[in-house]
Parts: sequence; C-alpha cells; structure tokens
Amino acid sequence: MVRFFLRIWENFKEYIILVILLITSLFTISFNKSPAVRNVRATAFGSFAVVTSLVSDLTSIAKIKSENRRLREINAELMMQVNRLREFGIQNAELKNLLVLKDSSGYPLIPASVVSKSISASQSTITLNAGKNEGVRPGMPVINDLGLIGIVFNTSDDFSIVRTLKNIDVKIAVKDERTRIDGIMKWNGDELVIINVPKTYDVQPGDRIITSEISSIIPVPLPVGIATGITKVSTGIFNEVRVRPFVDFNRVEHVFILKLVESVEKNNLELNFYNRK
Amino acid sequence: MRAKYYIPILLFFPVLVIQITVIPLIAINGIIPDLIIILLVFYTMRNNQIYGTVLGFIFGFLFDLLTGTLLGSSMLAKTTSGFIAGYFSNENKRENYFKSYNFALIVLLCSVLNSVIISFFSSVDVNTNLVAMIFQLGLLPGFYTSIISLIIIIFYPRRSFS
Repeated sequence: MVRFFLRIWENFKEYIILVILLITSLFTISFNKSPAVRNVRATAFGSFAVVTSLVSDLTSIAKIKSENRRLREINAELMMQVNRLREFGIQNAELKNLLVLKDSSGYPLIPASVVSKSISASQSTITLNAGKNEGVRPGMPVINDLGLIGIVFNTSDDFSIVRTLKNIDVKIAVKDERTRIDGIMKWNGDELVIINVPKTYDVQPGDRIITSEISSIIPVPLPVGIATGITKVSTGIFNEVRVRPFVDFNRVEHVFILKLVESVEKNNLELNFYNRK
Repeated sequence: MRAKYYIPILLFFPVLVIQITVIPLIAINGIIPDLIIILLVFYTMRNNQIYGTVLGFIFGFLFDLLTGTLLGSSMLAKTTSGFIAGYFSNENKRENYFKSYNFALIVLLCSVLNSVIISFFSSVDVNTNLVAMIFQLGLLPGFYTSIISLIIIIFYPRRSFS
C-alpha cells in the first residue's frame, strides 16, 4: 500500500503539489473578510509601505516642477470660482436656514499622498501615507480636486490601503445629477457601469453622476463622472449606463480622506426597522 | 545550494517596490507590465517545475498580502503560471529557451495566463464577453510584460544561464 502511494507520488508529484497549492489558494480567498486576516494584512502592508514611501518620494521629485505649474493654473481658476461660490454659499446658508435643512458640507479632510499603486484590470488599489494615527478608518471616502477616488479598505498606524473605483469589490450608490435617478455603480473589469437602470429611466450621455445620499458609505454628494452611453441589454427590463470617471486613477498623487464614517445611529435605526417582526 | 531558495524571495521585495512605485509611471492606458512574472519565469526555468509552482505560490501570497488585492487571487494565478513555466525548465534545452525571443514567448504565455486567471476570478459575470476579456485583460498586459522581459534578457550575462 505504502509502495503504491510512493509510486503515485513519484509519478505525479508535480500535479499533486499543484493541486494542493491551488486548493490552499481557493481556501484563502474564502477567508478574506476574517478580522484576523485583516489585522495580519494591516501589519504587513504597513511595514512594507515604509519602504515604498521612500522610493515614491524619490520618483515624485522629477514631477514636482510640472505639477507645481499645473497647480498654479488650477489655483488661479479656483480663486475665481471661489469668489462666485462665496456668494452662492451665503445665499445657500440663508435658504437652508429658512427651510431648516441640515448642513451636509464641512466635513474635515485628512491630506495624504499616494506612496504606491497596484494597478490591475479588476483590483486596483493605492497605498496612502496616512493611517490610524491621523484618524483614518476603513470605509472613509477618498477624494481629490476632481472627485471620488475610492474607499479606505484597511489601515495600519501610518498607512492605509484604498480600493479605487476601478476595483470590482467597490459598489457605490450614485445618482444622475440632472434627473435624480439613483443606481448602483461598479467596475466590471473594463469600465464603470451603473447597473440595473430601468429602460424607462431618463439617463442621457453627458449627465453628471454624483454619489447618492442613500449610500450608507458616502451619504454626501461627491462628483464621480460623466455618463458616456447606455448599454442596451436586449433581454429584460434593465439597461447599463457607462460612466467615465472624472479622476484619472493612474495619475493620482495627492488626495484627501473625508473624515466621515457611516452613522451608527442611522444604521441602528435602519436595522431596527428591518428586524421588526 | 540554498541560495537558489532564498535569493528569488529576497529579490521579490525590491522588484515589488519597483512594480508598485515606478512601473505605474510607464502605464499605457492603464496597462502595466508585470515584473513579478518575469522574475518567476526566470527562476523557474533555471530550476524545475515543483520549484516554480511553489515559488509562484509564495510570490502570489506576498503580492496579495502587501498590495491589498484579494488575498488568494494572485496566489492562484502565479502558482499556475509557475507550473506552466516549469515545462520549460528542461536542462538540455535550457540554453535554447533562454534566447531572448524564446524567453519573451514563455513570459507572454505565463503572463497572459496570470492576467486571465486574476480577471476571470474577479470580474466574470453572465454578461462578460470572454474573447474580449482574454484580449483586453490578458493579451495586452502579456505583450507589454514580454517586451519588458526582452529588454531584461538582452542585457543579462549569457554565461550565468548554465
């Protein structure tokens, strides 16, 4: 019997090892959401990000001059916009007071720089040089001057990993700014799409897409992208809306983390509602 | 003798640093070459199939752990790529396989397989066009990786292959 197994091992050891390792890999995938695995990953990438941040600083020196020029131009444009918006802001505050609406702006921002990027077709992530010590927590949205970049996935003391919108695990409630139609946006491996949009809904190419207030992750409106077209699904009652993001994820260098986590009070309220017998 | 076990793992870390800091700067339309696959194919061809399979597993595990991708997906893809690269580790033909264009073709095969497995695992649903997916997510990064491998292998000293 032993000799039989030894002969099988001798003849097929490459395949046996392959199968064992593939099964281990599949097994590991199922443990991704375990808190213990998350802690190990936070420690691992936190230590490694110390090295990558040094290299990233060196590589970014070459780009500082051109970026400085670009930022000066943006600064001039923004200064003019700010003057206009200041007037709108005063009007807005007065009108909100009149309507007794709650102010949704003014969330604190945590500035951070990208220390590394893992670009892949389906699971793009970036590492930022801000972590638990700066107040970053998983679930916080990450933005820049153009719009939403992604969601914080994991944090160590000084670094955090962000899943960008080009990650199939990120699904966000968004809405059409013009028609106020809500939908769920996700990355399908090729492009951003809003899925399950009823065929009767009015969504046109060129419409601005922003995050929706109904989102449990980002309950404030942040710009996401522009609707570029509608994929007409021949069967069923739903279409898909293709979205071009405002942010070029390959060029992102400096970002802000919106210090905003989902409301425990709101969650408890909603859970109570759903749990009611 | 033991150097053959720990040198590729030690080399993995600086290569990964380059992969996630410098390589995004040469991305073409979001497509980047995979230096880890080149390293994996190189060391697998210098050793044997079991070595390549285990090395792919270790590289995949470290890659997933340190970059925040779905833990297990690169493990699966790189284990398979290491296994396939192992078919080209024949001692008698090794010298021939290490000729630049042959090496680039082997890298292309392994890189396409790696990209397709990762994409297949994470982004396939009922509406996915498989041919388009293999072309866009598999072949394009594969070609880019094999071109980079060509550059590396041309400048590599020939006698160290033996």
